Amino acid sequence: MKISYNWLKDYCKHDLSAEKLAESLTNAGLVVDTVSPVEDDFCLEVEVTSNRPDCLGFIGVAREVATIVRGKLDIPDVGYDTTDENINDITSVTIEDSDLCQRYTARIIKDVKIGPSPEWLQKKICSIGLRPVNNIVDITNYVLMESGQPLHAFDFDKLRENRIVVRKAKKDETMEAIDGSKCVLTDDMLVIADAQRPVAIAGVMGGKETEVSGATRNILLESAFFDPRSVRRVSRKLSLMSDSSYRFERRVDPECVDWASRRATRLILEMAGGQAVEGVIDQNYQEGNKVSVSLKMSRLNSLLGLQIEKDTAKDILGHLQFKINSETEDGFSVDVPSFRGDVYREVDLIEEVARIHGYDKIPVKNSIGVKLSQDNRFDKITEKTKNVISGLGFNEVVTDSIVGDSQDIHGTIWSETGSLKILNPIRQDENLLRKALVHNLLRVKKHNQNYGVEKTDIYELSKVYLPKKDDQLPEEKECLCILGEEGYLALKGVIETILSHLNIADSLECVHFDFGLFSSEKSAELRLGDSVLGFIGELSREVISDYDFRSKPCIAELDFNVLIDKTSLEGSYRKVPSFPIVSRDFAVVSDEKVAWAEIKGCIDSLNIDYVDDIEFFDVYRGKQIEKGRKSIAFRVIFRADNKTLKSEEVDVLQEKILTNLNNSLGVSLRA
Amino acid sequence: MQEKLNEIQTQAKDDLAQAESLEEVETIKTRYLGRKGGVINEIIKSIPSLPPEQRSSTGKSANILKQEIGKWIEDAKGKFAGKEQATDSKAMFDLSLPGEHKPYGHKHPLTQTIDEIKGIFKKLCFDIEYGPEVEHEYYNFDALNIPADHPSREDFDTFYLGNKRLLRSQTSTVQIRVMEKTKPPIRMIAPGKVFRPDTVDARHASMFHQIEGLMVDEGVSFSDLKYVLTLFAQSYFGQDIKMRFRPSFFPFTEPSAEIDISCSLCKGKGCSVCSQSGWVEVLGAGMVDPNVFDTVGYDSEKYTGFAFGIGVERLTMLKYGIDNIRLFFENDLRFLSQF
Repeated sequence: MKISYNWLKDYCKHDLSAEKLAESLTNAGLVVDTVSPVEDDFCLEVEVTSNRPDCLGFIGVAREVATIVRGKLDIPDVGYDTTDENINDITSVTIEDSDLCQRYTARIIKDVKIGPSPEWLQKKICSIGLRPVNNIVDITNYVLMESGQPLHAFDFDKLRENRIVVRKAKKDETMEAIDGSKCVLTDDMLVIADAQRPVAIAGVMGGKETEVSGATRNILLESAFFDPRSVRRVSRKLSLMSDSSYRFERRVDPECVDWASRRATRLILEMAGGQAVEGVIDQNYQEGNKVSVSLKMSRLNSLLGLQIEKDTAKDILGHLQFKINSETEDGFSVDVPSFRGDVYREVDLIEEVARIHGYDKIPVKNSIGVKLSQDNRFDKITEKTKNVISGLGFNEVVTDSIVGDSQDIHGTIWSETGSLKILNPIRQDENLLRKALVHNLLRVKKHNQNYGVEKTDIYELSKVYLPKKDDQLPEEKECLCILGEEGYLALKGVIETILSHLNIADSLECVHFDFGLFSSEKSAELRLGDSVLGFIGELSREVISDYDFRSKPCIAELDFNVLIDKTSLEGSYRKVPSFPIVSRDFAVVSDEKVAWAEIKGCIDSLNIDYVDDIEFFDVYRGKQIEKGRKSIAFRVIFRADNKTLKSEEVDVLQEKILTNLNNSLGVSLRA
Repeated sequence: MQEKLNEIQTQAKDDLAQAESLEEVETIKTRYLGRKGGVINEIIKSIPSLPPEQRSSTGKSANILKQEIGKWIEDAKGKFAGKEQATDSKAMFDLSLPGEHKPYGHKHPLTQTIDEIKGIFKKLCFDIEYGPEVEHEYYNFDALNIPADHPSREDFDTFYLGNKRLLRSQTSTVQIRVMEKTKPPIRMIAPGKVFRPDTVDARHASMFHQIEGLMVDEGVSFSDLKYVLTLFAQSYFGQDIKMRFRPSFFPFTEPSAEIDISCSLCKGKGCSVCSQSGWVEVLGAGMVDPNVFDTVGYDSEKYTGFAFGIGVERLTMLKYGIDNIRLFFENDLRFLSQF
């Protein structure tokens, strides 16, 4: 809210410069965003937190200033003279929805002269960015800003039957508001009506037809308390915001309702003449219970970690208009003023004392000591995995969990169940929680390709959300998705490298798998022991053309929890061999159907102690090889832990391997 | 045998005379003087198999020849050393060509920020905790002392999934989940994604990251809060950083504070990043509200604690001077590979 530096001084005299005032208010919890010069004045833009509606008026802010400087708060006089005529003889107020209107007051001022307001008043209003209209409207605005209590003046003679009814709108009732907007009302909106029609939307805006104009002579002045939730809902629904709705939404002080009405009446009599009718209509008001809270100084000092004297605390709270009602050795008890609904516990009083005393006066003390923090296994493995993948040249991406429905076009990976839907999405076409990461990575690839980045080796480690029954929370599956540009084998190699760095003992098994996103040839389910680790595949031609990709990406998505389960964080050491290796290269011919895994498995099954490693070289198909067959080249490395192997020993083993390959797989040495 | 040595001598001389480059000289050196298979060494090795009367003289001659050839080789090398640098028409290796690069992958800048912050709090003995992103209203609001009519519960501020489920709008949910299953003392931070239906612009995204912090024990005070957050800020932003703790409001802390640091760009003089104030808001914090303790069944007379929340994107943007939050989620490699 905007505060005029000069105007504020009407309620509290102080010596602070505008800059210093801004700093002091900020340090007390009323953040001053900007200080701008306005003619011979300054306008301070003050941010008021939602728990402090009492500071949405000058007097409230002045109360803070008076407390900061330990000065005096000057509250203006509200007395005025009246005529003999009684208000109850000329009007009435009926409240039909007492829940939504917990207080409604009306005063009547007759024979006013509408005209411009005096220059001093116009200047004040202008200093905080408001536009002068006429003396009556200016006065209601002035008192609103002064007290934080919104007021509305009706042209009394335009109210049908000269009376007020506070009720819900009828279906399809309409009203033109003073800003010219035509409002179609619904039956859950509270309105102020006369005998026939709505004349104001309660707490939000008055109606055009009954507003004060040059011809107005008699005024009905409204000051009320409307339910904050109701005002907020209606204001949002009609997209109609005002200085009034802003304050009602944050809750006004019910005790101030009548004070503001008197204050405005007095000013109207002063500036627009006329006579005030005797009395006030004050409906539905029940004075709230007095709230009393006690404070122990020992508690205050231990919670804040400092030493404040009781007198200091009493002084601060006294200036904030808390009344001390009893005292003990260690503390005292206070009555909470009606405008401080946010204070009802000891800790709330502690905050009041702390913020005025100054957070900067609380010492920075080291008293917390050390403690052994727990290792987080998930965290460790995550970090290790990311280090490995990044080390292999892949860039990590972070994509949105909220996606559109294109995620299911090519089939689903982790769950057949429909995605969780967001009921209030920002965009209607992006309203689902993702069930896989693959599509997001394809979109990242596309985005990069559009900007001329051709090689997109990327990965993401994030959650996907798999729905469970009914109203249960979904399974949040941590997934690792990798997109590589070097083909199936290169990406499989990346996964194998990760497994090896995580000390995972199970070997990776690839089983052919049909999935709409992938080419039918290079597409596999990845297994680790009994668990499904995930999926890998080169994109199908259709998908590549759908996305207009210029390369042929391969993509894999892994269930990270499987990796976590199987990871061993304890490393072990294997003795560095002291005897040399002997290697033998093999070139064999086999039927197309024989897989490398079978050849390797066949050699492994011989359980030859001296076989240290089997390295695949390549597969060759061509002129010298019969159709339907292929040539496979590999190397077997032999090594013994306790001696140098002799050539003749290895010859025997080599022969054994070849015989076995031939017998079990029909694989023969290439001629 | 002497004959053979003479032959070698002549041959070596010829070879060296014909050599045209340093490389060739090296090859000749290996051929004659190499320890394995070098011509001279082979002869020396064969000495034990010679008749006894020849052994001594052959040994001597062989060693003399070895030194001789060694000298010729050094001479030949000297001859070419100058030539190698001379500019003639021959192909020359360009030392100034750019180095060849292996691909190097980058962790996302937000991951790097989270890792750095985790590292700082680990040093302060804080545990790392995680919680679900899809939550019950209870954890996001009720248990955090956020009243039923609070504006943050409205459709404008929280994504709803039906049946009292929502996408968490703050990582404070993890406070409750941790306190429900753990007795004090607690020291933890919880990084993670949060979601809000903000209209996306340079400063707002509908998904972003927070780190929640919580410390609970007997006798934890506001002074401890200032200590821990001061250490954090000094560690992350540097020892010279100035801090300002000012009162604020959050439903789940009382007293509450917002923490500003002196603007690193203008050194507190005022610039567009800090809206001319010289201060930048980086943290929200406060003493845990007793109502929150009551909800999770902690004795609020016995235990006190503080909580804080850090905006990961904001800190990253401040650190690198990034002016648009959308860059984090567009994943343009030209952006990501800078970190």
